[in-house]
Amino acid sequence: MAEVVLSGVEKRFGEVAAVAGVDLTVKDREFVILVGPSGCGKTTTLRMIAGLEDVSGGDISIGGKSVTHLPPKDRDIAMVFQSYALYPHMTVYRNMAFSLQLRRMPKPEIDRRVREAASILGLTELLARKPRALSGGQRQRVAVGAALCRQAGVLLFDEPLSNLDAKLRVHMRTELKRLHQSVKSTMIYVTHDQVEAMTMGDRIVIMDKGKICQVATPLEAYRHPANRFVAGFIGTPPMNFFDGELRGEGAALAVVLGGDLTLPVPRPRLSGVSGRQVTMGIRPEHIQLGGEGNGTRVKVPATIDVVEPLGNEAIVTARCPAGLLQIETELTGDLKPGQPVSLLFDTAQVHLFDRQTEVAL
Amino acid sequence: MVPRLPFLEREAPLGYVLVIPAVLYLTIFIAYPFLMAIWLSLTDAEAGNAKWSFIGLDNYSKVVSSEVRVNDLVLVTLPTREEAEAFQKARRSAKLETTPQGARFRTAVVVAGRTIPLFEMDSSSDSEFAADTVVSEFDWQVHQAGKGWEVVAHGGDEPIRFGPFPDRASEKKALESSVLVKADTKVRTNGTGVVQDPNFRLSLLNTFKYTFGTEIIKLLIGVPCALILNRKFGARRLLRGLVVIPWVIPIAISAQAWLWILDSTYSVINWCLVRWGILNAGNIINFRGDPQWAMLSVILVNVWRGFPFTAIVILAGLTAIPDEILERARLDGANAFQRFIHIIGPMVRPILMVSLLFSVIFSFTDFNTIWIITKGGPYDQTQVLSTYAYQLGVNAGYLGKGAATSLFMFPLMAVMVFFMLRFLRREN
Repeated sequence: MAEVVLSGVEKRFGEVAAVAGVDLTVKDREFVILVGPSGCGKTTTLRMIAGLEDVSGGDISIGGKSVTHLPPKDRDIAMVFQSYALYPHMTVYRNMAFSLQLRRMPKPEIDRRVREAASILGLTELLARKPRALSGGQRQRVAVGAALCRQAGVLLFDEPLSNLDAKLRVHMRTELKRLHQSVKSTMIYVTHDQVEAMTMGDRIVIMDKGKICQVATPLEAYRHPANRFVAGFIGTPPMNFFDGELRGEGAALAVVLGGDLTLPVPRPRLSGVSGRQVTMGIRPEHIQLGGEGNGTRVKVPATIDVVEPLGNEAIVTARCPAGLLQIETELTGDLKPGQPVSLLFDTAQVHLFDRQTEVAL
Repeated sequence: MVPRLPFLEREAPLGYVLVIPAVLYLTIFIAYPFLMAIWLSLTDAEAGNAKWSFIGLDNYSKVVSSEVRVNDLVLVTLPTREEAEAFQKARRSAKLETTPQGARFRTAVVVAGRTIPLFEMDSSSDSEFAADTVVSEFDWQVHQAGKGWEVVAHGGDEPIRFGPFPDRASEKKALESSVLVKADTKVRTNGTGVVQDPNFRLSLLNTFKYTFGTEIIKLLIGVPCALILNRKFGARRLLRGLVVIPWVIPIAISAQAWLWILDSTYSVINWCLVRWGILNAGNIINFRGDPQWAMLSVILVNVWRGFPFTAIVILAGLTAIPDEILERARLDGANAFQRFIHIIGPMVRPILMVSLLFSVIFSFTDFNTIWIITKGGPYDQTQVLSTYAYQLGVNAGYLGKGAATSLFMFPLMAVMVFFMLRFLRREN
């Protein structure tokens, strides 16, 4: 069992709090992704779990045992670094065997584990090579292999795919996910790339300014972002935001945006919010180009600003009375900048956030 | 065919023009003296003598005569230890027996009923004298050799000398016909070339002592120093600046301080040692005058001057190790010592070799330190090739021999540099 529990974990550098009170429980064998913009404290959190940073406050436990003040080697963890951190003077085999050799494991057992990890990752042919004779993707796999050999309860990944080219990154993403299904370790994975977070994790932890914004499954975070930051961070192209003011309440609730654009946003359980300053968010795929309004779909006039074709689809930036917005649409030949179009907002899919607290309403 | 650019637009001519001063400098101050030294070393040039003549390689090696030293004569090989020891004990009753052998005389020693022919020479007295030396002066020892036991006559520092011989052929012939038992023979050559000069051989030995003594101590001090400077602490930048001071101060100035530190009467080291009760005021150390201490003293000064370079170069190697690698080593379970042995050491080794390469060249050719501190004394105990070449060529005026001595450093260094570069290439 390797359940990782963080309670009130803090990290301060002088006056600055890099991590300000993180509470998180990662279940045994779960694949959890820490995601957020740079400087949000996700890497610091991971390094505290690894024991590479001192903890300024709070407690970390792994497998029910508090490890807050244990050295890294006694924590039942293995880690894959962003730069792979391979020992350049050692062969692939020794790179993978090094930690086991230090633990004075019998040679046959070391050999068995190294070869097992190598065969899982397709490294068997490369065991005699030095890291500099490997490609980026191979180095990446060696780094993962070295961590796998340990057979630690918890595997930590610090942005392991960020040094790979786009194509390889997509490939390794799948491999790591498959790996998680075959090994019995808890995995905690740090990334700034929300696509990685969405595609790989059982659950994702979205962090901002040293705090956790939301812990949820990827779809939940996408569909029901807890605050404006999560809403804007998850999803490409990003959610469109407009400032507005609420009118009415309950089923008759409406939001008044710039240019006197009024959209009905029925929220039966919301009352006493009339006059509240809010930010309205709507994802690009919930805005349709052309067509007739009905029920929850509201027609909004706009003009096309920029068209970015992506093959079968295009990202269209348009200007509506409330401001600029982006939509995703099928690429048709007749989209020209300056062309007037009508947009259909799916008001059932609209998110409302308090302007001050940025929390979802 | 690409049309050529106009002259003023082309890069190459400008490059050639700019490089002319450097080429002139190298030619006048490096190539010419070097070639001149080679030429001088092949002549019998002397200061104050206008006439020189070409004498080939005589300055390097010219054997006038040679003598052979015979030692460790195997008198007999016996099957058991007891028999060998009995033979050894019977030495007191040993008798010499000289018989004419054609025109020559053969002397045998008769011990415990065995007659062992030892020498055969032209004169019976020579032959008898040599055999008598073996019987009455040499130490007879019993050694195990293969399955049997040997009785060996060991002469220590006083072997039997044959010669002098004018050339190799007569030496070989004489030796083969004169010594009738298995023995250890060594050839001593006398001559006028530098190789035959005992002072040259001493200087060569001293050069190696000086170079490797310096390098080993430099590493022992430089590596920990670099490790300390690599730690993050407040005064790190200040300390990094201070540590290079010995290296940037001209040796002519810093040596004055060292002359005082190592002074025979007023040495501050002696003063401290006496003060702390470690030394008696009556037998303070004469650092520069005592043959035991002189080499250590000059090495000490050279180390003091050179270790900052080693430390800084190693520091550069240390800073080049990414933090993540050391962090991974911690996660892998390596303690500080294991990280040093398995990770830091191997990763710094290539740059360490580069620094060693430079520093060996500096020490091997160093003249200043020794000249200022000891001038090669006492009794040539700190005489190295560079100072000896100077004394021979400039002070004594033997230009040819001085040139030959200094040119001896060239192949030696070429060999050392070759092996170091090969090691470096293997590392990368």
